Amino acid sequence: MSYLLKIAFKNMFRSKLRTLVSIVAIAFGVMIVVFARGLIVGMVDKVFADHIHYNSGHIKIIDRDYQMRERLLTLNYPVDGLGGRGVEEMIAAMEALDKVELVIPRLKFGALVSTGDKLVSMSGWGVDPEQELAFTDLENKLVEGRMVRPGEQAVVMGTALLKKINRQVGDKVTIVFNTAFGSVKGVTFTIVGRLESGLKLLNEMVFFLPLDQAQTLLEMEDQATELLLVASDPKLVPQVLPEVKTFLAAAGEAGRYLALSYRETSDLIPLMDLSELMFSYVYLIIVLLSCVVVVNTMIMIIRERTREIGMMAALGLEGKNILQLFVIEGAFMGIAGSLVGAVLGHLITAYLGKVGFDYGEALSAMDAEVLFDTMFYPVASVGNAVFAFLLGVIVVTLACLFPARRAARLQPTEAMRAGQ
Amino acid sequence: MALLELKGLKKVYDQGKIEVPALRGIDLTVEQGEFTTIFGPSGSGKTTLLNLIGCLDTPTAGTILFDGQSLGELDKKELALVRRHNVGFVFQSYNLIPVLTAYENVEFAIRLINKYDKREIRDRVMGILKAVGLEGLENRRPNELSGGQKQRVAIARALVKEPKLVLADEPSANLDSKTSEEVLAVMAKMNRELGTTFIFSTHDPLVMDYARRLIEIRDGLIAKDQRREQDAVLN
Ligand SMILES: Nc1ncnc2c1ncn2[C@@H]1O[C@H](COP(=O)(O)OP(=O)(O)OP(=O)(O)O)[C@@H](O)[C@H]1O
Ligand SMILES: [Mg+2]
Repeated sequence: MSYLLKIAFKNMFRSKLRTLVSIVAIAFGVMIVVFARGLIVGMVDKVFADHIHYNSGHIKIIDRDYQMRERLLTLNYPVDGLGGRGVEEMIAAMEALDKVELVIPRLKFGALVSTGDKLVSMSGWGVDPEQELAFTDLENKLVEGRMVRPGEQAVVMGTALLKKINRQVGDKVTIVFNTAFGSVKGVTFTIVGRLESGLKLLNEMVFFLPLDQAQTLLEMEDQATELLLVASDPKLVPQVLPEVKTFLAAAGEAGRYLALSYRETSDLIPLMDLSELMFSYVYLIIVLLSCVVVVNTMIMIIRERTREIGMMAALGLEGKNILQLFVIEGAFMGIAGSLVGAVLGHLITAYLGKVGFDYGEALSAMDAEVLFDTMFYPVASVGNAVFAFLLGVIVVTLACLFPARRAARLQPTEAMRAGQ
Repeated sequence: MALLELKGLKKVYDQGKIEVPALRGIDLTVEQGEFTTIFGPSGSGKTTLLNLIGCLDTPTAGTILFDGQSLGELDKKELALVRRHNVGFVFQSYNLIPVLTAYENVEFAIRLINKYDKREIRDRVMGILKAVGLEGLENRRPNELSGGQKQRVAIARALVKEPKLVLADEPSANLDSKTSEEVLAVMAKMNRELGTTFIFSTHDPLVMDYARRLIEIRDGLIAKDQRREQDAVLN
């Protein structure tokens, strides 16, 4: 076997250009796989993170009837605590549950601003500023000013929304909304901060205000429209969810409140799962395409070396040894190409993972409700590079079996006569 | 028991429309330790016969017993093993592995048979290279050797594993008479000391001088089969 390794290795250098072309083809394929996979993982991670941060937490607790009308931002089905005793008590009780790190209240409501010639509709989020900053990445998105503080009549808005209503940080704005009892109110707020986000929802729809202000203005003391439960690790959700349900049942609220895991509340997540599956095939196809080059090289090599193959057979090399000889040569090219591809792919992915990768205004027509950011940060991981490397080596080696089998089946005398 | 027993051996090459009868019924017995030369005009079937004896090809009709074993009953893999262990080939055109040095080409044949340890392999390879006059050229690749030197590497490769049977198709075609004689002397010595059976095909009178048996074939049939008690050189 070791002499086969040696000959296969030396054979690689016989037609250097052809070997190089094969290696480059493999490297290219593997590099694309590393990058594409980094991108997909980055995208999926981001979609999950955005969904968790700005929609669902790890587990979302809402009124059963609120679920259907969530997009209408109705105030008729709030979360008002266990037996109506207020959210503060409920939050405290739930934060005491095992593996629950944080319970965040949000009070969401519809609102309007008049810009003189037209009305701009918005969605107001009454939040606990400190908790929001701790849980989400809002801090990075705050490009001007600061977050709102409890007790002040202030708001923070997205850049696009500010532009729509013609305001800047420091300006005042009068916002009109319905209270929980249906009366219309107009309140003037100071704009204290500006957000810049790839998420259309945050950029052009939402304004943040302190939860206490929202509760007072909407006449919903100690209420919220939803509670977001944050587990110490998203992987623990399957364990925490039953615990939360048991808690709600024990409090006699199982009939009223729903506890939904983040996987249940997103339309995108099943899509992400599907795309990850689909992309596994895409990776395979990319590598198979580079294999076309390698197999072609193999076929040419075998044709050129037909006499040599016959001679080796005459010396007593079995068909399987000859097969091994060519498969090993292919595997060497596979290893070299995949190594180069995996390293380059990893470096490119790592670089773009730092500076980000904007895939475009192409999606600007998308619904602002959808949590989908156009700025992606591909995730470079060693595991990903190793995956692509192994995929390259295995697929290339297997592909070489086809031409090599032909070599193994050659008849020694026929082979030795070839090209004479 | 004879080393080789050929009975009614026929080989027809199927060339699509035309069939070329290369051997038309060969009966031949070769004893262990014979030093035999097959001669005859070009196209008479010498190479074909050697290929059949060396299990490189299968006959159209007839049987070959090699050491009592009928080759027709063996599968591809078993034939490869017979070649590996028992047959040394020297081809009409020297077929060396181009990426290996002279030393490695010879070593290749002996490493295929997992019989010797490293030291033994080295001693044997160096010994046979020296015997065929290639001392000092061990590390050259085939493309750095002359035609005659390559032929000698091929001969060394056939001899190094000390097979029962050495088949040599025009072994002296690329050698001058002096090297021919040196190489033949090595083979004659192996024949005497180890009882190795040699079958040559040749046009070269010098090679014939070394043989104790001269077989002439014409048009795929044995025309003459002549033994002599003494060879012309060593007696
Ligand atoms: N693979 C083949 N296909 C078709 N015909 C063949 C093949 N090999 C040999 N022949 C024919 O068989 C006959 C015997 O050929 P062979 O090579 O055995 O002759 P030879 O005695 O070795 O000749 P030379 O002295 O020229 O080497 C020739 O007529 C040759 O043309
Ligand atoms: Mg011939």
